Amino acid sequence: MKEQMPVYLRLTVLMLLMVTATFTAYSQNEELAPVSRAYVIRNANIIQAPGRKIDKGAILIRNGIIQSVGNTVNIPADAIIIEADSLYVYAGFIDGLSNTGVPKPKDENQDKKVKDPGNPPNNIAGIEPHRDVRNLLDPADKSIPDMRAIGFTAAHTVPHGRMLPGQGAIILLAGNSPDELVYKGPVSMFSQLHGAAGIYPNTVMGVMAKYRELYRQADQAKSYQKRYIQDASGMERPKSDRVLEAFYPVIDRSMPVAFKAEKVLDIQRVFSLKNELGFNLILGEVKEGWDITDKIKTSGAKVFLSLDLPELKEEKKAKADSGKVEEKEKRKTEVDLERERLELRKEEMIRKFYTQPALFASEGIIHGFSTLEAKSKDIKNHLSKLVENGLSEDAALAALTTSPAQLLGLSATMGSIDNGKLANLVISDKPYFNKESKVKYVFVDGRKFELEDKPKKKHSDEEDVEVSGTWSYTTETPQGAGTGNIVITGEPGNYSGTITGSFSGDENVLTNITVDGKELSFSFSMNVGGDTLNIDVSVTVDGNTFEGSMTAGVHGSFPIEGERLPNK
Amino acid sequence: MKKYTIGFLLFLFAVAVNAQQKGTILVKNGTVLTITNGTLENTDVLIKDGVISKIGKGLSAPKGSKTIDASGMFVMPGIIDAHSHIALDAVNEATSPVTAEVWTGDALNPMDVSIYRALAGGVTISHAMHGSANAIGGQCETIKHRYGTVDPDVIRMQGAPRTIKFALGENPTRVHGGGNRILPRTRMGVEAVFRNSFSEAQEYMKAWEVYKANKDKKGFKGVAPEYDLRLETLADILRGEIIIHCHSYRADEIYMLMQVCRDFGIKRLVFQHVNEGFKVAPELAEFGAMASVFSDWWAYKFEVYYSTAYNAAILTENGVVTSINSDSGELIRHLYHEAGKTQKYGGLSDDQALAMITINPAKQLGIEKRVGSIEEGKDGDIAIFKNHPLSIYTIPMYTIVDGVVEFDRQTDEDDMRIYADARETIDVTLHSTVSHSEDRCMQNTEFLFRD
Repeated sequence: MKEQMPVYLRLTVLMLLMVTATFTAYSQNEELAPVSRAYVIRNANIIQAPGRKIDKGAILIRNGIIQSVGNTVNIPADAIIIEADSLYVYAGFIDGLSNTGVPKPKDENQDKKVKDPGNPPNNIAGIEPHRDVRNLLDPADKSIPDMRAIGFTAAHTVPHGRMLPGQGAIILLAGNSPDELVYKGPVSMFSQLHGAAGIYPNTVMGVMAKYRELYRQADQAKSYQKRYIQDASGMERPKSDRVLEAFYPVIDRSMPVAFKAEKVLDIQRVFSLKNELGFNLILGEVKEGWDITDKIKTSGAKVFLSLDLPELKEEKKAKADSGKVEEKEKRKTEVDLERERLELRKEEMIRKFYTQPALFASEGIIHGFSTLEAKSKDIKNHLSKLVENGLSEDAALAALTTSPAQLLGLSATMGSIDNGKLANLVISDKPYFNKESKVKYVFVDGRKFELEDKPKKKHSDEEDVEVSGTWSYTTETPQGAGTGNIVITGEPGNYSGTITGSFSGDENVLTNITVDGKELSFSFSMNVGGDTLNIDVSVTVDGNTFEGSMTAGVHGSFPIEGERLPNK
Repeated sequence: MKKYTIGFLLFLFAVAVNAQQKGTILVKNGTVLTITNGTLENTDVLIKDGVISKIGKGLSAPKGSKTIDASGMFVMPGIIDAHSHIALDAVNEATSPVTAEVWTGDALNPMDVSIYRALAGGVTISHAMHGSANAIGGQCETIKHRYGTVDPDVIRMQGAPRTIKFALGENPTRVHGGGNRILPRTRMGVEAVFRNSFSEAQEYMKAWEVYKANKDKKGFKGVAPEYDLRLETLADILRGEIIIHCHSYRADEIYMLMQVCRDFGIKRLVFQHVNEGFKVAPELAEFGAMASVFSDWWAYKFEVYYSTAYNAAILTENGVVTSINSDSGELIRHLYHEAGKTQKYGGLSDDQALAMITINPAKQLGIEKRVGSIEEGKDGDIAIFKNHPLSIYTIPMYTIVDGVVEFDRQTDEDDMRIYADARETIDVTLHSTVSHSEDRCMQNTEFLFRD
């Protein structure tokens, strides 16, 4: 090991140099100051807010503020004019809960051995509510231009992590330093029901118990501190505890808890905690809320629906005589009928995801959108599909602008195109929710970003991805979270590999490794308490990450995601 | 067109998010196995608003309510499983030898199709337990099998006493001693974990008492003991508010835990599995501890070799309240067969055998005043069988929970999942290519088994 250190160090230095070099080049391009901070966008279709439209109107921006908006505006001599004939202008979108601007940490603490797994240090257990996302922001993170390119100009962003990753902030999606990004300091205590791998709290039961305990301990510490401040003489000094202190504003209800809760059961678990402990709640990344709209309403939670949606098949245009054709087909077997029934149920389930925002709108639940799990390249398409599935364009726009502004307390400065608000704008060539539309300009805080048309790649048969390397993965099973490594060697068509896991500690050989386009699948068996368990894994590879599911026979199917580790 | 018809059918299968439903129903003319009051021939049972309101002959149903004709059928109390892990998203918080603070009630999954499968075997209540990885595991939840909801609160049995899982022997020593090289590494260590934990809880209680006695005194400057959810829970065990359900096999350890409980004044104790219970049956009876056993399952690990199918009968004849449990999403569907085995091995009477899956598990869960027998005033939880439930030819026909029909064999759908998986890869072959491995000696005889 020691002999290798210098090589490793040299490599690190080299890589650091390369990163800095590209970063400098990039920021210089960005930093070319515009000749003026005044802009006029004219002859545009302006959608000031849902339901408020100006045909052929103009907007004057100066110093990052909307100075004037109307059919005509006075054009100052120093203004840069944008001829926006036939373009559509909307208020910049606001992301209700995201990791935008926060780089994903590399396999956090994965290899750290804990002496007593029942009592791990807080940072390894994922209990870091005192972390401030402002200290974790990277203005060069790719997520910022990616999200901006589809119209997002502000985001409620939170740290990555497990149970209590830290405090969220409101950021603007443009800036050269973390402080330039920040619009508003800590605004939420981010929480998740995610356990730590192999250490306490590992399961959802452990997380909820720990959450209750920390909250009540904080409550206790807070009132002791209050007594101490009143009359310290003769009293034991209160212990300094940054984890518990981070709960104080939550207990005061001056800061809400932003809880990620995707599934219908997780949402209700969060409600249980809220009801028992009494905090104000922002409910983020909601995926399955359609059956519990009443509970959501009574909770008073501020709701952000996830833009990570399951894949919806494009509807095939049925031929008029399809019925006859079907009759001619050979008789369906039991298996065919079974498959049809299962496909139908799956389709109906998928449809629930796409009709959910419309349902929430019709039930009067004010909601925005969140993107913790969503991929930026899918979001615009998903928004169009939500509109196709019954969400009105006005309601969709509200969920991207006025509603998140209201829910996050930003209405005074964001959410609509009105005098005095921040100059956050999205300009598209067709109505935004039209599938064919392209974003032409985005203004963030009065800074103009012009988006170039990327020629669409004609993809015929997708090429098979290269999967060799060492991948670290995480999975959530009823037995808790699991982690480990997958090593794949060899060449396309002739792969071999192994998998290790925190469940057994054994190394298992992979079989049936196949790659089809971006789809990677393989199987392995492991020994559990004397029984052999066959596990099938099927994931979609996207560059150096993958996401998919792991099926363990009758034990069901669990999500798995992974990341390719850099070659050492 | 056909496709649409199926679509509409599925729409009918809508998910109810409702409060705990109570139904009114008349079950007519069945052979009623009351368990606590003998067998009543040609008798009606009227359930009104979820409660058994009348047992007798010639009863009439209130207007608009449903009637089931149980002529020639057997009507028994809903079956109760005192040891199960169905309807749970998490079973073991296996990271610490003591996790009294965790609670399976937080991990309830009312959408688990196992609930429906259990209903199809006449089971109306199960004990959703924490696993046995830890010496002191988590608290458990007693659930009623009300299927068709996404709301975990709907399946909780309101008012059922709190219970907690303990574990002896190989599991906790393997997980913590073997896996993490911490206490407990031996059976002695497991005892030490219990004694240490209860002693800490006693100190915790005492510290709070002292604090509470002084905090309102003038000039009080003291600090309250730090809130500790684990010790709070252990203190509740010492106060008698939580029933211990302990995973156990060996007689020496079973005896050990009774000694520990005696030393700490704990009286509510149920042993689970308790395969060597027959060796300490008089001692269990003297303590008042109860036993929940398998009918005939053992030898799956070293400490479970010394076993007998007569265990349940021996325990019963020694005066130990004994139940037969499943610990499995499969076994739970035929607990009536499991109970029947006590007649083959031990010659128990029908009532004794049926008590193993009704009133006895109810006693072990502290819910015997509400369920476990057919008595006026008890919950309307009922299972109706064609042929006697202890017969090998028995067939579950209806299962009723709180007067609501939750399983009806005549309208039993194939796909009873509440939510389909929107991201699953549908692989029908998985379910249809069993023929190679399947026992083929019964092929083409299926028609004999259709009713």
